[in-house]
Amino acid sequence: MASKVKQITVWARGVVQDKEGRDIANGLANAAKKEGKFTQAFDNYVDLPDRVNVPLRKYARISDEEIEERYEYENEKPEVVIVADATLVKGINVLRGMEKGGVLVVNTDRKPEDILKFIPNRDLLKAIVCVDAKGICGEATVDFSGSEGGVDAVGLGAGMAAPILGALVRGTNLVKLENLAAVVKNKEALYKGHEQAVVKTL
Amino acid sequence: MAKEMVLSGCAASAQAAKMAKVEVICSYPIRPYTALMMELAKMVANGELDAEFIYGEGEHAQLSVVLGASAAGARVLTGSSGVGVTYAFETYSPIAGGRVPVQMMIADRALDPPGDFGSEHTDAMSCRDQGWLMGWAENPQEAFDNCLINYRVGEDHRVLLPQFVCQDGYFVSHIPGKVLLPDQSQVDEFLPPYTLPHPLDPKHPVSHGPQIRPDQGTIMDLQRAQAHLDAPAVIKEAIADFNRIFGRDYSPFVEEYMTDDAEMAFFIMGAHTMTARHAIKHLRSKGVKIGLVKLRFLRPWPTQEVAEALSKFKAVGVVETSTSYGGAMRGGNLLHEVRASLYDLPQRPLTTSFMAGLGGEMVPLKDFYYMAEILSKMIKEGKTKKTVHWVGFEAEA
Repeated sequence: MASKVKQITVWARGVVQDKEGRDIANGLANAAKKEGKFTQAFDNYVDLPDRVNVPLRKYARISDEEIEERYEYENEKPEVVIVADATLVKGINVLRGMEKGGVLVVNTDRKPEDILKFIPNRDLLKAIVCVDAKGICGEATVDFSGSEGGVDAVGLGAGMAAPILGALVRGTNLVKLENLAAVVKNKEALYKGHEQAVVKTL
Repeated sequence: MAKEMVLSGCAASAQAAKMAKVEVICSYPIRPYTALMMELAKMVANGELDAEFIYGEGEHAQLSVVLGASAAGARVLTGSSGVGVTYAFETYSPIAGGRVPVQMMIADRALDPPGDFGSEHTDAMSCRDQGWLMGWAENPQEAFDNCLINYRVGEDHRVLLPQFVCQDGYFVSHIPGKVLLPDQSQVDEFLPPYTLPHPLDPKHPVSHGPQIRPDQGTIMDLQRAQAHLDAPAVIKEAIADFNRIFGRDYSPFVEEYMTDDAEMAFFIMGAHTMTARHAIKHLRSKGVKIGLVKLRFLRPWPTQEVAEALSKFKAVGVVETSTSYGGAMRGGNLLHEVRASLYDLPQRPLTTSFMAGLGGEMVPLKDFYYMAEILSKMIKEGKTKKTVHWVGFEAEA
């Protein structure tokens, strides 16, 4: 994969956050598309079919040029990693493949310092962003409509994905907040996530 | 006005079936084709599609259900992947031999062992000689289009053949791509309502699929073979109409990319064609005279078109994506047919095959560069040293 393609990996919990995780990847790709970028958003095929609470990955790719290797199964070198359930950082090397200077976004009510304790390779990060998405818009939406290659019947970013995407803008310059606002359903949660996110530069 | 959407191949195929006004659907789950049925089930439940949706108890049942429904005069759809496709194998010959134009969407998947859910063409390829029309889509748009084209050709009374409408599992079935959804009026103009010359009808009793005497067998085989000889003319008509009505630019059988002054070419079908195009673009910028020929219909095999397209090259590399263990070329299936197509030409290109994209592996740009290197070497040496190259598993080119 050419290095000009920016890779963003989302970690989420199986079934209960399947839609949320996909919304984050789709929201990011759709907003970037509005900025004239070439994009891709897709599920990690190997993680599916998912089971309740198993870790699973969703991917977005953003590029100034056409993405030539669209069929690469995985994001091998993510620049940005988003963790939709903070407990995932305890058992999984969520930063795997990241090169120095990446950004981690975590959905948590804890402080960045508390999360960093669980990230052994935290020296790869230039910033960590924490946002309490659950506090902003409640429990994750459970929705099965888009599982395994299907189409989402309900809107994008109606739940936790919105504040997480808002927080993402605080730590990266991948997309503009107004373009996210144009693609997510819960705009209020998007803005709240953006405002309430805690950013720690490393 | 056509509506632009971003859809996976499964979702695109479901949209196509809906616009084709499919009447009977029979499902059984297996990755990666399952989302086709998931989408259709939603459409039926939401009242967007007026179709009977039947849950089969296995793939053999799926095919048996749609055989009956199609024979009774309903436009039908079923589908499967991998070992699901092979589980239903018994039904393929009766359906084709009975000249019942069932459509089956296959999102291909490697066969066991071990359990592998990645794309490989071997599942569908194993069924290629039963008399079904057959071809692969490169992307979700082509998956959508091929659904409509195959209904039109297969249901034509000059053809009356079932259709395997194939797409690469995951690469096409799961990775969303741009799809132009036409207006219903365009689809209606292209695809006439389904009729069968002798449908099952209690008011006009006929027999379908009875026991026959041996002396009645050959003539039926001959008729099935003749249908494949008659199909190309119908395919040409259908593609011409499709291009006119939907504003596309399909060739009926083989499509060429950057072949004008090419010395060598890849011969390929399905998803990996996309990556091959990018590889060719880069190779061209380095002065390598290479192009590609993409196959759109595997059955009926377009012998003459393949010969004409490939005769202008010095070397052709066939990208296999399926296995034919112990076969004449020691690799996949396509090279057998490519070589057979070229046999009567006075001047034949050198040909070899590349085993790539097996077990769900993608074919990255660097693999196409490797293949191009081998083709260059063949041209330089003026001969084919090996008929098969397992890409990534060779010590040297």
